[in-house]
Amino acid sequence: MSSSPLRQRPALLRISMVALLLLWSLAPMLWQLYTSLRTPESLLAGLAGLGGGWTLANYSAVLQADPPFGVYLLNSSVVGALSTLLTLALAIPCAYALSRRSDLLKLVIGGGLLAAAVFPYVLLFLALLQVARQLGLANNLLALCLPYAGLSLPLAVLLLQAAFADLPVELEENALLEGFSLGQRLRWILLPLIGPAVASTGLLVFLFSWNEFPIALTWLSRSELLTLAPAMARIAGSSVFTVPHGAFAAATVLGGVPLLALLLIFQRQILAGLTQGAIKG
Amino acid sequence: MSLLLMAPALLLLLAVFLWPMLDYAWLSLQAQTVFTGLKPVPVGLANWERLLGDGRFWQDAAQTLRFAVVSVGLELLLGLAIALLLHQSWRGRSLVRSLSLLPWALPTTVMALGWRWILNDPNGPINGVLQSLGLPSLPFLASTQLAWLAVVLADTWKTTPFVALLLLAGMQMIPADLYEAFALEGGRPWQGLLRITLPLLRPYVFIALIFRLAQALGVFDLVAVLTGGGPASSTETLALYAYLNAMRFLDFGYSATVMLGMFVLLLASALLLVLAQQRWRGARP
Amino acid sequence: MRSVALAGSEPGCGLRPAARQSWLAAGLGLGLALALLWSGLAWAGRPTTVRLLMPAPFADATAELVESFNREHRGLRIAVTRGPLETESVSDLAISSLLLGDSPYDLLLMDVTWTAKYAAAGWLLPLNDWLGPDPLAPLAAGARVGNVIDGNLWRVPMLADMGLLYWRTDLMAAPPRTPAELVAISERLQRQGKVRWGYVWQGRQYEGLSCVFLEMLRGFGGRWDNNGDGLNTPAATAAAAWLRQLIVKGISPAAVANFAEPEALQSFEAGEAAFMRNWPYAWQELQGPSSRVAGKVGVTMMVAEVGEPPAATQGSWGLSVLAGSRHPAEAVQVLQALTGEASQRRLVQRWGYSPTLTALFDDPALVAERPLLPILQNALESVALRPLNPGYAQLSDILQRQLSSVITGELEPALAMERAERGSQLLLEASGRGPEQ
Repeated sequence: MSSSPLRQRPALLRISMVALLLLWSLAPMLWQLYTSLRTPESLLAGLAGLGGGWTLANYSAVLQADPPFGVYLLNSSVVGALSTLLTLALAIPCAYALSRRSDLLKLVIGGGLLAAAVFPYVLLFLALLQVARQLGLANNLLALCLPYAGLSLPLAVLLLQAAFADLPVELEENALLEGFSLGQRLRWILLPLIGPAVASTGLLVFLFSWNEFPIALTWLSRSELLTLAPAMARIAGSSVFTVPHGAFAAATVLGGVPLLALLLIFQRQILAGLTQGAIKG
Repeated sequence: MSLLLMAPALLLLLAVFLWPMLDYAWLSLQAQTVFTGLKPVPVGLANWERLLGDGRFWQDAAQTLRFAVVSVGLELLLGLAIALLLHQSWRGRSLVRSLSLLPWALPTTVMALGWRWILNDPNGPINGVLQSLGLPSLPFLASTQLAWLAVVLADTWKTTPFVALLLLAGMQMIPADLYEAFALEGGRPWQGLLRITLPLLRPYVFIALIFRLAQALGVFDLVAVLTGGGPASSTETLALYAYLNAMRFLDFGYSATVMLGMFVLLLASALLLVLAQQRWRGARP
Repeated sequence: MRSVALAGSEPGCGLRPAARQSWLAAGLGLGLALALLWSGLAWAGRPTTVRLLMPAPFADATAELVESFNREHRGLRIAVTRGPLETESVSDLAISSLLLGDSPYDLLLMDVTWTAKYAAAGWLLPLNDWLGPDPLAPLAAGARVGNVIDGNLWRVPMLADMGLLYWRTDLMAAPPRTPAELVAISERLQRQGKVRWGYVWQGRQYEGLSCVFLEMLRGFGGRWDNNGDGLNTPAATAAAAWLRQLIVKGISPAAVANFAEPEALQSFEAGEAAFMRNWPYAWQELQGPSSRVAGKVGVTMMVAEVGEPPAATQGSWGLSVLAGSRHPAEAVQVLQALTGEASQRRLVQRWGYSPTLTALFDDPALVAERPLLPILQNALESVALRPLNPGYAQLSDILQRQLSSVITGELEPALAMERAERGSQLLLEASGRGPEQ
């Protein structure tokens, strides 16, 4: 890849392109960070008064609100973690079985999964809302993991299925000869080998569940149970005469930082998951 | 045995994806509204008749399509440029790659709230720059002409990294010796882009296009928080309209009809896209 | 509780020599006992909490009233949830809870246009048996309407709101009474260069446009009835055409097609226009330091054709008890307190809102403080109500859409009104209230 023909471009041009890219990607976030640290008066004064007007009051306001902002982060983490576990528990056996078939059924299921993976799931909210009403699943963080797992399954099964398919068949045949049961083969031979794929799939599912909005919006109404996304929307709607831009910005920073950290730590796995999805899908 | 392993996942999938569509098909033939005490009452095709004459549905359909085409088009162009930049080798490349992916990882609702302030009239930074240049500040979110562009901007910012990443993955699949051979024959770099990169990238462009178009046609979070569909429903999308029908107007039968209508439009555009892809393939063997 | 206290303090009662330790123990025991007793009392006497959801501006305006209520009532406490600023978002928030079946609120401050929908959905408690005979009798006639549907009382109004015509006292001796007069005065003033525009109003495609239109519809002798009928009529076409003509003749700026209340106010406040259609809140804004027309503004009723009474669109905010409330009696008590005379008086004095009680309109002391009251009372006597229909929001949306096309010149008024009526019929048919019913 280092032998790209574009290498001869003047370095200056490239540096300015990279600067532009970073400005485009980061400036909006940095502006939020800046806003979150400013007093309301200094925000209206423009860039003239950079000497003063710095404050942490916006953060304490958000963290001490009712309910405190940390609750939303906690709720999102719980839902994200449980949904990820549930999705993987369902997707791994399914992906394994699918990878070991080569018949019409596999084609049908594979096609269905692909269609479901692209499907704009917002269309499902009304039926899922009725499910929540009829089965009494509303305002329950554990129950929310069910639709989340269902919505994440198509991509998860496709990614894991591709990973299983990449493993040489002999590996499993040898294990079979040695008397390993199916569970043992999965646990001791196959899963360790597709570990990276499981990790990247899990991260993508976690990102989805953490960020999900329409289902959370309709399944949760009690403010102490809200996950991050509907909480942000509710904060956005609650502006009074003077909009508390500083506090809003502090909320966006607090809501964004955990995921940014996750992305920076696990960027390799996430990149692998995304690109694998692209190639296999 | 393998069926048994697949069964739990498949059952959940059917419950989450297939059952709702069947439910909507039934619900679209019912009136389930405040008039019926929120109980379903059969009304035949009345909802569908209403849909055909509903100016708001068609306006939203056009707006959704406009949003999807413009923002996905921009994302592909920008994503291609970014992928080309990141495909070259230079110091600090992997750091820049990670940093440029950050917008994609942020929850949509979080940054939608951020954009409201960035686009604020007159105190946001963009209007600050305009004013310092002696230009009038622009009411991005209050003007029916500008608000949809604000939504496009926010969406492009967030999803371009995803497109760039897919295209970058595609570029890395292209064998380097193709370029070397091309250079030996006297080809110029930009010709290499046209003759080698783009043709070989086609499947990846197609995947990105399908994924992004489907998501953009179903856009909901961003619009709900950034503009709420306003002003004068100029940024309302079909998904938001379906949502409002259920949650604001308590008209569940019609909400299901709107969603099915949207589904039909989606299928139609997917079909068109696949046909176009095949023609494209056929045109350049 | 008491037995715990005695047991705890027992060591201290003994007169043994190891006094120090036992005194310490006694002190600790007593402290513990008191703490337990206190928390027990607090538990037993824990006040019933009545939860109330209001749009943020009203939560601010009533904060003082709520505070004094909580001070005066030992066993009862009001907890106000500050809802979003925007009217519809408040309703969205309430509906999302109500649909899921367990509402966290006992009381809801409701816009007049929501009442039919909430009542039909079965979410409100009928108040007939709670408030005694004829609880609406002390209200001004215009505030009484819109609360009773199908014989049940669903809502008690707290504040009134009505559409008014603001005019410039420095530019004319008397305000116009008919649409033609308004046009003539505007054109004269514009010719003389006294004002840039004649008349500014709310032409954006939103609820305000329906309010503007309803006043003109009534002014031309039309009706928009509770079934959404009355749009495909000569009066409706005349009203729509008149609004369009205002722009064609240059009396209203073309930008009025994107005006809501703040834009109209801004233009009128800057002295650009001779007339403005707005709600009572604008009065106070126009007397402020940033206003160029302070002291030069009169308020009157909207114009109407000769022989037709002028009309003011009624907007009002009132309290309803939610059917799922676990403390309906207490909720009713809070409702009575907040809609009562003392409460309304305070809201009028401090915030300049319009009351709903006749006694307050007739109070000379209050009128001296708020000179607008007699005009408001007058307007409240001839209010026009938007259709009391559970599907009102959608009916209004259909109308707004067609009106917007008329105002921007895309559609002929007659055709637009025909389409609005047809759309309304289709809506009601599909909603299960077809023409056969």
